[in-house]
Amino acid sequence: MNNAPTQITLEEWDERYEQLRRAGLREPGYGGPLGRHVGDGDRRLLKLRYDNSVASLRLWNFLLTEEDRLHNARAEGKRIVGTMKDLGTVPVMAYSLDNVVAFYPDGAWWIPCVMELSAGLLETADSLGIDESFCPVRAMLGAFVTGAHFPIPDQLVCSVGATCDDFSAIAQRLNGLGYPILWWEIPHRRHPEPNEAAVRLPGGFCAPKRQVEFVKSELERVRAALEGLAGQRLDDKKLSAGIQKANEVRSYLAELRQVTFTAKVCPLPALEMLIAEMLAIHFCSDREETISVLKELIDEVKTRVQAGRGVLGADAARIFWVNPVADLQVMNLLEDCGGRICGTEYLFSHALDTIPEDLPPAEALARMALADPMVGSSVDRAERICADIRRFGSEAVLISRIPGASHCALEGEVIAEVVQSRLKVPVLEIEVPPVTDSIRPTLGTRLEALIETVKERRKR
Amino acid sequence: MKTIIYTCPYVPAEWIAAHGLRPSRIMPGAAGSTSPVGRTEGVCPYIRGFVNEVIRNTQASGVVVTTVCDQMRRAFDIIMRRCELPAFLMNVPSTWQSVAAHKLYLDELRRLGEFLVRLGGKSPSSRALAKVMLEYDTARTSVLTTRGYLTSSQYSELIAEFNRDGKSGITTTINEKKPFTGGIPLAIIGGPLLREDFGIFDVVENSGGCIVLDATETGERGMCAHFDLRRLRDEPLIELSNAYFGSIPDAFRRPNNQLYNWLKRELACREVRGIIFWRYIWCDIWHAELHRLKQWANLPVLDVDVSGDEQALTVRTIQRIHAFLEVLQ
Ligand code: SF4
Ligand code: SF4
Repeated sequence: MNNAPTQITLEEWDERYEQLRRAGLREPGYGGPLGRHVGDGDRRLLKLRYDNSVASLRLWNFLLTEEDRLHNARAEGKRIVGTMKDLGTVPVMAYSLDNVVAFYPDGAWWIPCVMELSAGLLETADSLGIDESFCPVRAMLGAFVTGAHFPIPDQLVCSVGATCDDFSAIAQRLNGLGYPILWWEIPHRRHPEPNEAAVRLPGGFCAPKRQVEFVKSELERVRAALEGLAGQRLDDKKLSAGIQKANEVRSYLAELRQVTFTAKVCPLPALEMLIAEMLAIHFCSDREETISVLKELIDEVKTRVQAGRGVLGADAARIFWVNPVADLQVMNLLEDCGGRICGTEYLFSHALDTIPEDLPPAEALARMALADPMVGSSVDRAERICADIRRFGSEAVLISRIPGASHCALEGEVIAEVVQSRLKVPVLEIEVPPVTDSIRPTLGTRLEALIETVKERRKR
Repeated sequence: MKTIIYTCPYVPAEWIAAHGLRPSRIMPGAAGSTSPVGRTEGVCPYIRGFVNEVIRNTQASGVVVTTVCDQMRRAFDIIMRRCELPAFLMNVPSTWQSVAAHKLYLDELRRLGEFLVRLGGKSPSSRALAKVMLEYDTARTSVLTTRGYLTSSQYSELIAEFNRDGKSGITTTINEKKPFTGGIPLAIIGGPLLREDFGIFDVVENSGGCIVLDATETGERGMCAHFDLRRLRDEPLIELSNAYFGSIPDAFRRPNNQLYNWLKRELACREVRGIIFWRYIWCDIWHAELHRLKQWANLPVLDVDVSGDEQALTVRTIQRIHAFLEVLQ
């Protein structure tokens, strides 16, 4: 069996799976050949290329079995929280309770891609007046109405205020359809006024102390709602323990990102890295397993780096990617065009930062929530991107616009200006719909042009 | 007197005026192809118009932008980068049912006050604020009492004039006027109108209708509540906050049932027979309400999506309004 790092198709994975199994592969309960997920309708999987490590097999299986885990949790009598929009804060609270699981219905964002538009969710959203002028998160509305993609949560908690209009509007539409929602306010993070008490946030931003206090009071409302749902107290001790666990996940991810993005040869493909990062926001409905999955990935990556082996050529252009892609296949495409990911800002960098452990836990979470790159100005977000570009040595920035997204219309221009003026690296903006098949040649040409520019610049 | 421009109904003119500055709630025109906002796709035409207006404005001493929608919040970034005008971004919470949200709004008013002082304003005493509030309240009431005595376009223009010029602009009286009647009673519901959009009132009237409820942001819906005189005397700033933050219904609030409660009352008391739903393309906040409104209102709803081109009322829109009214005859 060839164990050299490489990317393989789903069909090749299933053959490899058989070989591994015969060789004594040991897997968690959710393991199995990846090909079986196509039977659930996840047709896009047939068109992706995957890392061939056992660690990545586990990662994919973990991701693709989340719905089963949620149903099992309900069958075991656990309460399910649908946490919406905040990307990383409320789940830390929910998983601090032993009889609650939390997930993001927002994750339905990817269903149109993964099921190649076959699930009919966008049509359902259309029929409810939420058409393609909204971002792909509108699929969430369809998922609620059809009830076919996740169990309907016992409690919905949604952050509003400094959030995108798409999500706020769609969540309100959902509310209007009869789904009760606990709304909590996340204010636009502003710079402290002269002489105003200020607080440094995880990730480096600064915020006025009174904004932190306000968010803390909002999170206390969320805490009370979770306690009511769970029928048990969520005291500071439990919350602190939950924060420590979340930080464990975050520290593994930080290590994984550092090792992968700075390695001479890319040890893990962009797609697997994207999925690994996503585990941080709600632990894919199993916090302990998330930690095990990440540990195995780190071991694999370190082994590859030590051996000087990787999945792409050593000259791959080092790209910093902004915003998640609606079509996962575009991550493969970047690599086909000669690029690799060295730095990301997928809208949830705050979910990767360490949560302070030396503060009262609600305050620590409030600081983390306010560190969300999307709740501040686009200039702040661009500054954070610049800091990460320096850290990871990225050579170009790719801003991937999300069709219909309220923030994408105006922020790209600002981010590009700031990055270019500070670091003089090339920036390209593209738009990625949920299925890119028809625009693949054009996208490819644009990515190639960026990568050629990077390689030309190296000669100077 | 220094002028402070803004467009959001949640910015209280009284607060700016009490600081000795001139508040002007501007009504932008369509930006057309000349907007400093590079992109057109995905950007609300109203935002493009607003940014354009702010950047080209040579009279103002400051601009106040609010966080009522994501695009407006981000428009602030563009304004900060494209012009020198001192700018203030005011957090207007989306939630409104908690004490904390009201307190946040109040804090933001105080912070706005500091900004106004930096621009040369003077922090008002409670008594001075109450006096200004009373003057505005009187002027606002006089505007509102003209309803029914003016054509719908005159009435909405009067509101716009009041917003733009404050109390000093109100000279109209209704003494010699007779109630204005006739036409199928319609409501116009939606976000703000651009200058060019005002032709809608005449188009409706020329087609046999009459807009009896201007529930756009630039119309009656975007006006604050009448002040309670006792509270105005005792705690003017809190009363100001109640009348604005506590009372103006809007689609962006979470939850936004306050808007529907307000509409229910106003549609019924004005015996509205049809609704023109006025929305800008790329405005998610209002767009998402369309379907719900159709199901909720039990009235015919005409969806007018506006691209914000200089030619606001296209032949197609005019024909659709005409057909809508024909059906309602
Ligand atoms: S608009 Fe952006 S932030 Fe909002 S749901 Fe869509 S992708 Fe997420
Ligand atoms: S019309 Fe909609 S997008 Fe435009 S400023 Fe108003 S709420 Fe924002």
